[in-house]
Amino acid sequence: WNWVAHGFYVLLNICSLEVSGELVQSCGHIIPESPVLALGSNFTALCILNESCLDFGNIYANQIIWKVKNRVVPKEQYREINRTVSSVTFNVTSSLAPFLTCNILADGQIEQNIYGITITVGLPPEKPKNLTCIVHQVPELTYPMTCTWDPGRPTFLDTHFRLKYRWPQENFPDCIPEEVNNTCTIKDAQFFVNLEVWVEAVNALGKAESDPLVLDPVEIVKPLPPHNLSVSSGILPTVLKLSWENRISATVMELKFNIRYRIAGDTNWLQVPPEDTASTRTSFSVQGLRPYTEYVFSIRCMKEDGVGYWSDWSEEESGVTSEDKPSKGPSIWRIIDASCSPASWTVYLMWKALEPLEANGIILQYEVTVRAKSSLPSPPEKYSVNTTNLTLKLPNGTYEVTLVARNRAGASPPSVLLIPASNSKAPVKNVRTLPKDGKLWVGWTAPNSSVLKYVIEWCLVSNSSDCIIEWQNEPGNVQGTYLKGDIKPFKCYLITVYPLYADGQGSGQSVKAYLQQDRPSKGPTVQTKKVGKAEAVLTWNHLTVDEQNGFIRSYTIFYKTIDGNETAVTVDPSKTEYTLSSLTSDTLYTVRMMAYTDEGGRSGPDFTFTTQKFGKGEIEAIVVPVCLAFLLIVLLGVLFCFNKRDLIKKHIWPIVPDPSKSNIAQWSPQVPAKHNFSSKDQMYPEGSFTDVSVVEIEADDKKSFSEQDLKPFELLKKEKSTSEGHSSGIGGSSCMSSPRQSVSDSDEGETTQNTSSTVQYSTVVLNGYRDQTPVQVFSRSESTQPLLDSEERSEDHAGGGDSTTRRQQYFKQNSGQEETSADRPCFERTKPTNEGDLVGCAQLQISGQSSQLLGLELEKNTQEAALSDTLVTNTEGQTMRPETVDENPLSIDEMPKSYLPQTVRQGGYMPQ
Amino acid sequence: MAAADSPSTALRRRDLCSRGVRLAGKMRLDVISLLDTYVERQGLDASVSVAAVEGVPVAAVERWDEQTGTQRLLENLEAYRAFRVLLAQMLEEQREQLGEADTALGRALAAVLLQVSAFAYHLEELLRLESRGPPSEEEAELPPPPQLSLFEQKLRGLGVLRELAQWALRSTRDLRQLTKASPGSGSVPSPPDSP
Repeated sequence: WNWVAHGFYVLLNICSLEVSGELVQSCGHIIPESPVLALGSNFTALCILNESCLDFGNIYANQIIWKVKNRVVPKEQYREINRTVSSVTFNVTSSLAPFLTCNILADGQIEQNIYGITITVGLPPEKPKNLTCIVHQVPELTYPMTCTWDPGRPTFLDTHFRLKYRWPQENFPDCIPEEVNNTCTIKDAQFFVNLEVWVEAVNALGKAESDPLVLDPVEIVKPLPPHNLSVSSGILPTVLKLSWENRISATVMELKFNIRYRIAGDTNWLQVPPEDTASTRTSFSVQGLRPYTEYVFSIRCMKEDGVGYWSDWSEEESGVTSEDKPSKGPSIWRIIDASCSPASWTVYLMWKALEPLEANGIILQYEVTVRAKSSLPSPPEKYSVNTTNLTLKLPNGTYEVTLVARNRAGASPPSVLLIPASNSKAPVKNVRTLPKDGKLWVGWTAPNSSVLKYVIEWCLVSNSSDCIIEWQNEPGNVQGTYLKGDIKPFKCYLITVYPLYADGQGSGQSVKAYLQQDRPSKGPTVQTKKVGKAEAVLTWNHLTVDEQNGFIRSYTIFYKTIDGNETAVTVDPSKTEYTLSSLTSDTLYTVRMMAYTDEGGRSGPDFTFTTQKFGKGEIEAIVVPVCLAFLLIVLLGVLFCFNKRDLIKKHIWPIVPDPSKSNIAQWSPQVPAKHNFSSKDQMYPEGSFTDVSVVEIEADDKKSFSEQDLKPFELLKKEKSTSEGHSSGIGGSSCMSSPRQSVSDSDEGETTQNTSSTVQYSTVVLNGYRDQTPVQVFSRSESTQPLLDSEERSEDHAGGGDSTTRRQQYFKQNSGQEETSADRPCFERTKPTNEGDLVGCAQLQISGQSSQLLGLELEKNTQEAALSDTLVTNTEGQTMRPETVDENPLSIDEMPKSYLPQTVRQGGYMPQ
Repeated sequence: MAAADSPSTALRRRDLCSRGVRLAGKMRLDVISLLDTYVERQGLDASVSVAAVEGVPVAAVERWDEQTGTQRLLENLEAYRAFRVLLAQMLEEQREQLGEADTALGRALAAVLLQVSAFAYHLEELLRLESRGPPSEEEAELPPPPQLSLFEQKLRGLGVLRELAQWALRSTRDLRQLTKASPGSGSVPSPPDSP
């Protein structure tokens, strides 16, 4: 539909073009054209149709439709004046510029736009208010005047403001603001003539003027501040003279001034009384200043009568007052070290440098006078120092120390310190501290006597540094003060208060204090001192002062098992040991410890320990009865065995046939006929071993070894001494025999086997057992029976010619050396031990007397003899000492040097 | 001159005299400053002597201390009206010579012109308070400026400014004399004032 209407509108315009010829002519127009309307006013517009269009399109005024911003104005607001004119009236309520159109509803209900106008809506200007002007003096020494005003509400229209001014007799061109609507500057205002100033605001809806402001511009001047300010010190140390230049002539304007000043580094300004500077001037002397102090000055001015504005403050300029004598003596104190000598003191005098306020200049030196106050008048000693301390070595006594500070202007009043022989006066009481406002306050209760002044000493207590004493003086009428120094939080301070009297000094009273406490920086490290079954003694060290960060109020011990709840115990902070009780035995405990200050606590590392399984004495109570019972059982067993020894022997330890009693002739298969033994059954009725090697021993006592011959034996003994532990009992004989000489297949390694290991015997011949046919078999035997020694001995016989004789010699000598200390324990030890031990002992004894070659043979023989002795002993169940062997060494006959078993002849070696 | 002034009139006169004195003082300062600028910008020698310029009133007067207040005011008004015209001519000539290039000199000339106008207003007001009223402007109207060469214009300007400075000084004294003189003693010569 809109497209259709648009198309019809285009067609209508084309028609209009045709009708008018060359010019575009619409079918009507609106009166007024582009009106400017005030908000809230009623507005009537007329739409006048052209006569030419009436006939062409059958358009009449009653068909007109008014629209504002494309919204149809209600018909009630229309009025048809005649057939070509229609009016509309509405109230202008919107500040937005409405677009009013005149439309017509042609045939077919097609709406066509005839004409449109834009309505400008706004407000007339308000009367400008609050007009004020100020004349700024500028460096070019002209006086531009700037006026400002309140332009009033927005008008939504293009509104022009003009600042108008005039003299009574002369008008001036208007001042037109640039880009703003509330201020304008007149370039050069002329003084001493009243100027009438007002503001005019004009827009399409009207004009408004402010109330006129009549003024002499000289009365609204803000002058430039004085310049070239200079400060100079005079003779007096409390006066500085200021000089400056004014930038406005006194002819034009009388001025008054403000002078402000401050101490350099301070931020607070002081001001010279205004009445002192209420007239035009170019200099002023500021009095009442501190000596030797840098001051900063600034100055400003305004019209003398106070009409107008103050200038800005001038640039700052500083100056220093001249020096004056120090206003007071330095505070002095001392530290007395009496440790060097009982009769004298080392006195460290120290004093505080004067504050700048008190020094009044640069302190050039300090003069110290020490006067001994004794019955004998002595001249005072004087010292001049540049530092603030002096160390003196003085005899014990009472001294009066006077201190004076000196600068260029003179000396200070003296400070006097009395050093009494002893601090016998009343001390202060109830020294206490209180942190307040970031500082540490110290209070005390004054003694009853009149105190001249107090000295408060303090130092930081630390493990890492010495206690460096700081101090301060306080007058005698106070009972508390703040410590003047860099008091750090979390640090322990030791504070001591001394009262000083006119005639002496009281002893110091000390207190420890913290400015601010914190949790300890670490917790105590706890460990066990002793752990029992149900209790544990814990021990720890106190935290160092640096770690405490405050007063340790308590310790708390936390302990728990792995899966148990934690138990806490609070411990007095003075203790370093605590016993945990009611613990579970054989349990792993974890324990830690916290140290608490007023601000909280901190835990130390965990420590674990395990309680014992048994308590003290419990093990003894168990072990001793068990041992006793065991011993009793053993004893009973021994007694039983002893009583039943025959039976036991029969079943467990049968009688071993004595090889010496065997008949070799019968045993040897090569000379069976020569054997003249009785039947085996007869010889060994119950023995199981029938195969016996018989060793024939030749006892040659014709020769004896000289002492020289025995020396090699000594060497051998030494060489073999290291093998004592390895010497084997029976096997030891094989060990000591040469493989070449041995008939057995045993190798060297085998011969070094221990006693407990299997000993291989060579040429053990197994004859038929009992009724079996004896077959000569060479085999190995696992037996350790000593009877095989005889066989080996036979080997030896086969290998060495006169060894038997030598052995006989040896045994004789051996018997003679029996008293050697090394031999006795060996044989004594032999009795309860097994055969191996016995052989070992015998071997040791023999090897010590054998030579390299001969010794080997002799050693074997000796061992065999010893073994035979042992065998006899064991067999017989009796102890036989070696002496018994040697009793008849010469009765042994010389035997054949053949390996073959031979019949034991009368006089041969026979184990007994 | 009125035989007896009302308090407001006396206050008004005193205020006008006081401000007139300050205005004259400031005008003298500004004219002296302008003279330096003028000599420098116009290429003149500060020590050059300028003969009396036609149409420029002369500040020096014989028997100054015998003048009445009204006479003083009238002579001052006549002089300043003449200076106003002369300065306006100078400003126009300066603009023609230097255009808008030398705005500082132009501004200074304009400022002095304004002060001359302001002082003339003061004088007129004082004359009104004297119940006489200022003479009409036509009386002080100067003949049209003669056709002068450029140099002559500069010298003439210099003469105008020098004489204006003298007049500023004289006006200060005149007004002080008026302030000292009682309202009814306008015809009584006041004691000589130190220059």
